[in-house]
Amino acid sequence: MLTLRDLVYVYPNGTRALDGVSLELPPGMFGLLGPNGAGKSTLMRCIATLQVPQSGSIQLGAVDALADPAALRRMLGYLPQDFGVYPRVSAWDMLDHLAVLKGLAAPGERREAVERLLRQVNLWDVRRRSIAGFSGGMRQRFGIAQALLGSPQLMIVDEPTAGLDPEERNRFLNLLAEIGEQVVVILSTHIVEDVAELCPRMGILVGGQIVAQGSPAQLIEGLQGRIWRKVIAKDELDGLRARQQVLTTRLLAGRTLVHVLADSIPEPGFSPVPPALEDVYFAALSAARTVA
Amino acid sequence: MLRQVALFELRYQLGSPAFRVTFAVFFLLAFGAVASDKITIGGGGGNVLANAPFVIAQTSMILSLFALFASAAFVASAVVRDDETRFSGILHSTRLSTGDYLLGRFLGSWCTGMLALASVPLGNAIGALMPWLDPETVAPMRVGWYAYAWLGLCGPTLLVTSAALYAIALLSRSMALTYVGAIGLIVGYLLALALASTPRLESVVALIDPFGLAALGVVTKYWTALERNTRMPGLEGALLWNRLLWIGVTVLLLALALRFYRTAERGLPARATRRAGPPPPAREQRAADARTMSSPPAASAPPSAGRRDLSTLWALVRHDMAAALRHPGFLVLLFLGGLNSGGGLWFADEMSGTPTLPVTRVMIEALRGSFTVIPILIAIYYAGELVWQSRERRVHEILDATPAPDWAFALPKILAISLALVATLCASMLVAVAIQLLKGHVELELSHYLLWYVLPSSIDVTLIAILAVFVQTLAPSKQLGWLAMTLLIVGQIALASVGLEHPLFLYGQSTPEPLSDMNGQGEFARHATWFRAYWSACALLLSVLAICLWRRGSHVSLSTRLRRLPARLAGLPGALSATALLSMGGLGGWILYNTNVLNEYRIAEDEADWAAQLERTVSGFESLPQPRIAEVELAVDLRPREGRAEVRGRYSVENRTGAPLAEVHLNNLIRDLEVRRLAVEGATLEREWPELNYRIYRFDTPLAPGARASIEFELLSERQGFRHRDPNTRLVENGTFLDNFQIAPTLGPNRGQYLSDRAERRKRDLPGERREPALEDESARSFNGLRRDSDWVQADITITTDADQIAIAPGYLVSDESRDGRRTMRYRTDAPIQNFFSIQSARYAVERDRWRDVELAVYYHPPHGANVRTMLDAMKVSLELFSEIFSPFQFRQLRVLEFPAYSSFAQSFANTVPYSEAIGFIHHRTSPDQIDMVTYVTAHEVGHQWWGHQVVAADQQGGSMLIESLAEYAALRVMEQLYGPEQIRKFLKLELGTYLSSRGSERLEEMPLARVESQGYIHYQKGGLALYFLKEELGSEVVDRTLRRLIAQFAFQPAPYPNTTDFLRLLREEAGPEHELLIADLFERITLYDVKVTAARTRQASDGQWETTLEVEARKLYADGQGQETEAPLDEPFEAGLFSVEPGTEGFTRESVLAFERRPLHSGRQELVLRSAKRPEHAGIDPYNKRIDRDIDDNLRSVDLQD
Repeated sequence: MLTLRDLVYVYPNGTRALDGVSLELPPGMFGLLGPNGAGKSTLMRCIATLQVPQSGSIQLGAVDALADPAALRRMLGYLPQDFGVYPRVSAWDMLDHLAVLKGLAAPGERREAVERLLRQVNLWDVRRRSIAGFSGGMRQRFGIAQALLGSPQLMIVDEPTAGLDPEERNRFLNLLAEIGEQVVVILSTHIVEDVAELCPRMGILVGGQIVAQGSPAQLIEGLQGRIWRKVIAKDELDGLRARQQVLTTRLLAGRTLVHVLADSIPEPGFSPVPPALEDVYFAALSAARTVA
Repeated sequence: MLRQVALFELRYQLGSPAFRVTFAVFFLLAFGAVASDKITIGGGGGNVLANAPFVIAQTSMILSLFALFASAAFVASAVVRDDETRFSGILHSTRLSTGDYLLGRFLGSWCTGMLALASVPLGNAIGALMPWLDPETVAPMRVGWYAYAWLGLCGPTLLVTSAALYAIALLSRSMALTYVGAIGLIVGYLLALALASTPRLESVVALIDPFGLAALGVVTKYWTALERNTRMPGLEGALLWNRLLWIGVTVLLLALALRFYRTAERGLPARATRRAGPPPPAREQRAADARTMSSPPAASAPPSAGRRDLSTLWALVRHDMAAALRHPGFLVLLFLGGLNSGGGLWFADEMSGTPTLPVTRVMIEALRGSFTVIPILIAIYYAGELVWQSRERRVHEILDATPAPDWAFALPKILAISLALVATLCASMLVAVAIQLLKGHVELELSHYLLWYVLPSSIDVTLIAILAVFVQTLAPSKQLGWLAMTLLIVGQIALASVGLEHPLFLYGQSTPEPLSDMNGQGEFARHATWFRAYWSACALLLSVLAICLWRRGSHVSLSTRLRRLPARLAGLPGALSATALLSMGGLGGWILYNTNVLNEYRIAEDEADWAAQLERTVSGFESLPQPRIAEVELAVDLRPREGRAEVRGRYSVENRTGAPLAEVHLNNLIRDLEVRRLAVEGATLEREWPELNYRIYRFDTPLAPGARASIEFELLSERQGFRHRDPNTRLVENGTFLDNFQIAPTLGPNRGQYLSDRAERRKRDLPGERREPALEDESARSFNGLRRDSDWVQADITITTDADQIAIAPGYLVSDESRDGRRTMRYRTDAPIQNFFSIQSARYAVERDRWRDVELAVYYHPPHGANVRTMLDAMKVSLELFSEIFSPFQFRQLRVLEFPAYSSFAQSFANTVPYSEAIGFIHHRTSPDQIDMVTYVTAHEVGHQWWGHQVVAADQQGGSMLIESLAEYAALRVMEQLYGPEQIRKFLKLELGTYLSSRGSERLEEMPLARVESQGYIHYQKGGLALYFLKEELGSEVVDRTLRRLIAQFAFQPAPYPNTTDFLRLLREEAGPEHELLIADLFERITLYDVKVTAARTRQASDGQWETTLEVEARKLYADGQGQETEAPLDEPFEAGLFSVEPGTEGFTRESVLAFERRPLHSGRQELVLRSAKRPEHAGIDPYNKRIDRDIDDNLRSVDLQD
C-alpha cells in the first residue's frame, strides 16, 4: 500500500505544483488523470525520490520514502515522461548497465534477467542495435523493460502512450496489464481512454490537488442522470456557455454536439445521456476551475 | 536576408554569458599586461615600453590564441543551437536559403568574436592611462596602432579559427567535438612552436602557424629595443604570406562547408528524438512488434541481499571507461596529443640548440614540456562530459531512480578518468620509446620512464581529475564548470607570480624535480612525494565530498545538497573525510616544518629585499682597502648522501695596499652558509650582520704594508629537510659541484650580490643600475675581474668524500687514502693560480691520455663515454695550437669533469674544466653538416687556460672581452684548423644570428666591444666574430703576435691588471695606421653592415670564361646603445666569391671555390663583375659572413643564366 499524505511541492519560481495531495493506493493499477500543468509529473518524481516535497509524507508499506529514499528505490520501477538515451549504446548494454545500478551484481543472474526482459518486451531481436535508432514505440518498450528490472513493488509510469500510434499504444497497455496484481502501478496520463481501459482505481489531479478519486465505475455512477446532450448551431454556443455548465463540445456533421452538466433537464431540446469517463473528467475540471 | 541573419546572430550572441565573460576576462588580462608589472603577455620590460607597438602586436596575437575557446563557443552555438533546441525543423522550412543561412551565421559569430577581442586593445589603452605607471615606460597613445592590431592582426587569426571551428561544427553537429577541435588547434600551435625552435624549419613554420605568432617572431627577430618601441610590425614578408595563406584556407574551408552541407537531411538531425524518429521499422519488424509475449513474466528473484560492491564498482568503472574511450573526442585528443608530443619528442634532442643523443632523460623532459598539458586538458574536458552526460542526454531520471548508492555515480567516473589518463601517459611513453628506437638509441631505461614520468605524472593528473569532478559537481552547468577549472588553473599561476607560491596552497603543486642521469631523481623526488601525499589526502576529501554532494534527482539546488551534507557524511564517508583531514593536517604540518622552520621561507621578493638590504649596508665599504688572499688551505668533509659539506680552512692574507690596514671585512656570499668559527689573527670582531653573513674585524694593531695575517674558518653547508623551491643542486648524492665562492669566505663587498634589474632597484629606492668602472678609471686596474680580494694564490685542498667517489680539486694529487668507507684526497698547487676553483665529487670513470708531458684526463659518468675520445683529441689539438701561437701551457695536467644536467654550461678553472652532462657528453651529430660542438666548447675552455688563467683582466668595462672573446677566438682557430676555412661560415653564421637577435633584448645599453660590460651576446658572439675578422684582414701573424705580447706583459702578474686599452694599443702597434678604421669600427664602435646581392647573372664570354655580374646594395651603419642607427659612408674592400656549391653546406670544399677576390664597395648600388673558369651556381659578397651584417641570408644568391 502506497500512502501519500498532504504532499506540498513549491518550485523555486513560486509555482505551487502540489498543494496538499493525499492518496491511498493498494496494489493494482491506479490511473492519475489531469491536464498538462496539473502537477502529475511533479507528483511522480516526488514518489520516485527524484524531488523532495517541502512537506508531507510518502509511505510504501513500512518504508518512509523521505527518510530512507534508498529503501524505496530498491522497490521502485520508474518510467519517466521524457527520457533520452546515450548515443552509440546498444539496448543490451544499456539494460545491462541499468541492471548493475539496480543491484544485480552477479554477472550470471544479471544476464538472465536482461535476456528475460528483452524477450518479454520483444526487443530481443534488436538487442544489439543502438537505442538511439529506435522508433518511439521501441523506445517506450525499452523504458518498460528497465522499469521492470529487479522486480519492483512500485511502478511509476509517466505519460507512457503520448506520441505512440494506436498499434503501439495497444501493445504497451497490454504489457502494463500483464505486470501483475501484487504491484502498485501508477499510470499518470492525460489520455482518458487509457485509464478507462486499464485502471480499477483512479484519481483526478487539477491545480495540484486531488479533486476526485475512486473507481471509474463509482465516479461514472456519481454523474448518472446529470449529463445532458444536445445538437446546436455553432453560433448558439457562446450563449449556451453563459447559461449552462458546458462540459464538452464536438462537431457532428457540421453542427455542434454539446454535453452539459445539470441536475435536471437544463433547457428544452436536451436529452439525457449515460455518462462516460470523459464526462467525469471534464466535470471535475470544470468544478475545480470554477472554485479557483 | 544575409544581413538579417548575421545581425540577428550578432545580437543574440552579444547577450550570451560566453560573450560577456570573454570580454571581461580579456579586458582584464590586457589591462593587467600594461598596468601591472606582474603580468607580461607580449614582452615589454627593460628598454621596451609597456605599450610599445611591438608589445601591442604580440599581446593581441597571443590573446587571440586564447580566444580560441570563446570563439568555439560562439561558432558552435551558431551551428548547433538549432539542432539542440529542435528549432531547425521550423527554420529550414522558411524561405531562407542555405547560403544566406550558413554565411550569415558565420559572419554573425565572427563579428561576435571580433567584438569580444576588441577588449584587448581597449584594455591595453586604458591600462596605459593609469596614473600609477612610470611615465618613462609608457609610449604615446596612437589609436592607429590599436586599430591595426585589432583589424590587421587579430582579425585574420579570428577569421581562420572561426572558419575552422565552423567547419568542424557543421560536420560534426556536436558542441563537444567543436571544443575538441579548439583543443586540436591549440595543440597544432604548440607543435608549431616546438618546431620553430629548430632554425632550419623556421621559415616553413612561420608560414604554417595559423596564429601568425611564429611569423611575427620571424619578422621581428632582430629588432632592437628602439624599433620595438616605434615600429608596428607591418604586413610584410613572412607575416604577409602567413596571413594571406590562412585567409585563403578560410575561404576554402567555408566553401567546402557550404558545398557539402545538405539541408534536407540536416533538417532533422541524426539523433532521433522520441517524437521525430527515422523512417518506421521494416515490415518484419512490424510483424514482430505485433506479437506479444504469450506467457506472463516469471517472477524474477530480487537483487541478492549481500551486494558484491566491488564487482558492481568494477562493472561501473568499465562502463564509464568505455564511455570515455568510445567518445570520438577522446581518440581525437589522444591523436592530437600524440602528434604534439611526437613533434616535440622527435626534436627533443635538438631543442637546446645543440643536438644530443635522445637519452631517456631528454625524452622525459620533452614529454614534461609538451605532453603534460594534454592529460590536464583531457581531465578537465572529460570530467565535464562524464559528470553531465546523463543529464544532457536526459537519462538521469532513470538512473537516479535506481537503488544504486551515490558513490556508484561519482566514484566510477573518477576511476575511469584516472585510468584513461594513465593509459594516455603510457601511450606517450610508447611514442617516446618508438622514437628512440627509430633514431637508433637502444638504451631505453624503461624504469626511468616509469619512475620519473609515468608514476608521478599519473598522480598529478589524477589529482586534477578529482578536482575537476568536484568542481563539476558544484557547478550549475558544464560550461561554467569548465570555466571554473580553467580559472583555477590559471589563477594558480597568477597567484604564484604575485608571491603566493607555497605549494601547500596551490592545488596539486609540489617541489621541483630536476632530472640528471648522474644523480637520477635524487632526493628531489623524495621531497616531492610529501607534497603528493598531502594533495592525495586532499583529493580523497574532495572525492568524498563530490560523492556526498552528488546531484541526484531533478531540480536539486546546491543549497539543498549542502543542507543534506551533514547527514550524508555519517558513517564511512565521515570517517574517510576525517582521515583525509587528519592526514592533510599531519602531512601539511610536516611540510610546513620543513619549508618554513628548518629552512627560511623566501619568495623572490624576499630574496630581492635581502639583496637590497645588503647593498644598502655594505656598499659604503667598497672603497675601503682590504688585504689580498695569498694562500688557501681547505679541508672539505663532504657527505653527499646527506647534502652536507663541512669546511675548515685557513687563508694567509697580505697587505698589498702600501698603507697600514685597520680592518678586514669577511663576506660569506651564500646567505645560508653557517659559520661555526671565524677568527682573524690579531683582530677582534667589531661589527657583524649575521643575517647578511658580513663581519668586520678590527686589527688590534693595524696590519703593516707587506705583512701577513691568517684567517681561520669553519663553515657548514647543509641541506635541512627541503625548501619549497630552489633546491640545492650543487651538493647532491652523485655529482657534487661546488665552487669556492659557495664554501669559503671572501673579503669585502661583492657587487655580484646586488640587484641588477632596473625595476627592482627603483622599487626599493636604490640608485640607478651599477655599471662596471669605465675604461678611463685607472684605479680600477688594481682589481681583477674575477675577485677583488685575491691576485694569484697557492692552494692546498683536502677533500673527504664517500669511498666510492672520486674528488677533484685544483692542484696535483698528493695523497689518496680510503678508510672506514671514506676517501680522503689531497691536492696542492705548485704554481700560483686564480683564487677561483671548483670542488667536484662523483662516481666517475676515467679515461686518460697525454700530450707531451701534460697528463690529460676526462672524468665521466660511466654510461656517457660516447664523446670522451673527441674531448681528449680536442684538448690535444688545442694545447698544440695555443702553445704555439700564444705561450707555453703552464700546467702538467688538464682535466674535464662531468657534472649533472641541472645546469648546461662548461667552465674553466685552473687545469680543470667542469662540463655539463647535458651538453658535450651526450652531444650527437647526425650528419657531418652539423657543428662539432664538443670540440668547439672544449677548445673554448682550453683557450681559457690562457685567457683567464694566464692573463686576467682588470675589473673594468671591456674586461670580459679579454677573457671570453679571446677564448672564442682561440676556439675558432681550432675549428678552422680542423675543418678548414671553407667550413667556417657555419660557425660564424651561428654566432652572428645569436648576436643580432640578442641585441633586441638588451635591457640597458649595448656597448662597443672594447667597453663590453659582461654582456654575453657581445663578448661571446660579437667578440668571436670581430677577432676572426680581424685575423682575416690583418693576417693571423699580426693578431697572434699582439696576443703573445699581451701575455708576455701581463701573464701571472698581480695588479695593475690589463684592460682592452692595453690590447688595442698593442694591436695598433702591430697592425699599423692603415688599419685604423677597421680597429676602431670593430672595437670602439657598434658597426653594422647591410649588404645584399640583389641579382646575380652569368654568361659565358667569348673566351670560354664565365662572366658573372652581381648587383649589390651596400650600407654601413653605426648604432648607439639603444639601437638607433645612423648611416656612415662605406668605402672598404669586401670579399666576393663565386662557387659551385653553397658555402657552409654539405659538400662544400676548396674545389667549390671558383673565384675569390677582394673588391672595394661603396654606399648604395653598384655592380661587380667576376670571372671564373667554370660556371658558378652561387655568388656572394662577404660569403663567409665574416662581417656583422644586419641580414645574414642576403649575402649569397644563386646565379641565373643570362640569356
